[in-house]
This record gives sequence, C-alpha cells and structure tokens, in this order.
Amino acid sequence: MIDLERYPREVTLRNGVTLVFRPMGRDDVDRLWVFFQQIPPEDKMFFREDVSRREVVQHWADTLDYGLVLPILALEGDRVVGDATLHRQRTGWKQRVGVVRVQIAPDYRHLGLGTAMVRELRHLGEKSALHCLMAEVIEEQAAAVRAFEKMGFVRVATYRNFVNDQRGGLHNLLVLLYRMSSSSDDLNV
Amino acid sequence: MNPVAGVPSRCDNLRMAGTDDHCPHCGAELRGDSRKGGTRPGGTPGCPYDRLAYAALRAGHDAIYFGAWRRIDAPPLEIRRGYHGIGRHLDAIGRELAGHDLPAAARDLNQAIEAHRTADPREEAPDALRLMDNALSYAHRAIDDLLHEKGLPPHQPMDFAEWYDVVEVPFRDEW
Repeated sequence: MIDLERYPREVTLRNGVTLVFRPMGRDDVDRLWVFFQQIPPEDKMFFREDVSRREVVQHWADTLDYGLVLPILALEGDRVVGDATLHRQRTGWKQRVGVVRVQIAPDYRHLGLGTAMVRELRHLGEKSALHCLMAEVIEEQAAAVRAFEKMGFVRVATYRNFVNDQRGGLHNLLVLLYRMSSSSDDLNV
Repeated sequence: MNPVAGVPSRCDNLRMAGTDDHCPHCGAELRGDSRKGGTRPGGTPGCPYDRLAYAALRAGHDAIYFGAWRRIDAPPLEIRRGYHGIGRHLDAIGRELAGHDLPAAARDLNQAIEAHRTADPREEAPDALRLMDNALSYAHRAIDDLLHEKGLPPHQPMDFAEWYDVVEVPFRDEW
C-alpha cells in the first residue's frame, strides 16, 4: 500500500513556478479532459485510449483504484499541466513490475516537470515494494527518453517498427527499466 | 564536513593564511595562501549558495564538477584529488540521507559509491575517469532527490559556473 500522506505537495520548477502534485480524484474529470485536449495530435497518436472523449476520462474516474493505477496530477492552480501514472498488478507474474506513463502539457515542457514527475513515480515505486519500473516510449519522444534515462532508467529493448500510430505509420518502441530489486545483479536482461 | 577541499573556487579568495576556516554558507574550506590575499567572509562578495537548501552538498558537488580533474590534460595528482573529493562528497550525502526515508536516493548513493570504489585511480582502472564521472552523476541525482522532497527544482551546476574558474566543462549535459 502506497502512503499517500505526502500529498498534496508543492514542487517548484526551474522557472520558479510552483505546482501541486496530488493523486487524481473523482472530481478531476473535466480538468483532466481539458488537459488532454491540449496535447498535440502527434502525441495523442500514441495513446492507448482516445482521451479526446470525455467518457474515457470519466470511466477512469469512476473506476479509480490507486492499488492498480495511481494517477498523479501536476496542477497550476486549477489547471492540470502534467499527468503521471503508476500501473500495477495485484497478482500474477508482473505483480512486482510497475508501468509508468507521463504526459506533460506543451507549454510546461522543457521546464523539468517531466523529470520531476518521473522522480515522483520512482519514489512511489520504491515505497511500494516493486522490483522494477518499466516505461514504454516511442523512440521519437526524445525528451521523454532523456527524462527517464536521467532518473536511472536503462534502455533494455527496442522493438523496431513495432507500434502503429492512429494513421497506420510504424514506429520503434523503446522499453526502459529502472530496477529496484536488491538482487538486481541477478536480473540482467 | 569539507566538501570542496583542494578545488579552486571563489571561496578561495576569502581564505586566511594559515587557517582552516570554512565558508559559513557552503562549507567550503577557506585554505590559507597569503600570496593571494583575501579577507574574512564578512563584507566580501556573497557566497552563491547562501540560503539555498543543501548548500554544502550543492557546493561540494559543483566544486568537483568544475574541478581540474575533469580537464582533458589533468595531471594524475588532480585526478587523485578529484577521486578523494568525490569520496568525501559521498560521505556527506550519506550523512544527510541518514535522516531521510528516501530509498531511491539511497539507491543512487549506493551506485555512486560502487562507481567510486571501482574507479580508484591507484588500481589503474582503465575507466577511472568515466567511473568517477558516473559517481558524481549518481551523487547529483541523490542531491536532486533531496531537493525534490522539499519541493525544490533540481540543482543546476551551470547556474554556479561563474563562481568557478571554468574554462570549459567536459561532459556537459545538454538537458
């Protein structure tokens, strides 16, 4: 069980702007929906779900279960400017693997917010007894790759022409891992 | 704590001959050298780390980051100084982390310690410089973890470059 008492917490960016990090709540649907509407189409092409539809975000809010998916929002006032999620499984062979995803509003990129959110997820992963965090990133998303690598994630695989965007084009998928197991030396890929 | 011993910085300009005073803000050792003069900190140009969180750790990092050991033509003596400076810096981070529950930062510190141990120049490690740089990079990440817990932005060494006698910075991050 992740201790959420650390939230809400303030995080100051390089430009001096102070944001609030906190878990998504059921009343954040419209804020998050507006946030996803700001995401450029070229980024949305790689989303797993059509987040331009409000009912998709509403469904997330209706089924919130922090034990499975913990969404951390970055807010400037009432506006969501970043969304980072830690996905887990309670049972099965991947129950010690957390999957992380991060999305940043266009006007908040290159300010260190992505790195701060990855750092936050890394902290949550460490505190929730996971062995490994995994990020999947399209190779063209260079800033995201750098943010993960800066936090200690290591590229472990590249799947060539593996994923398609919503127009059918193929892209390389990078898999990055951050190992937390004390027996990490035994886990070399 | 002596995070920046042996590394030139403007704090050296504040030093008193024959003393082992330290800068009250960043903890830098004010080593004696009467030929270069200098006055006590009071009334001198302010230390750039004054009033910053973890000022001593930041200053310790930067003094090594901008240290002579990273120059391409660094002599063996400077490399050994850099190596020992990193060791003291890691000790200082360890003392600070002892009071925090930050497993990610502790992991970074352990990786730094491992890289530092492997890099020992006395052992003629072929990758000594790279491993020392790795150790410093892991140390930087641990400091940033501490800052993040206070809700502060990461430490940016280049913001302090003017304070050091930096001609060029090898291995400079592009992000």
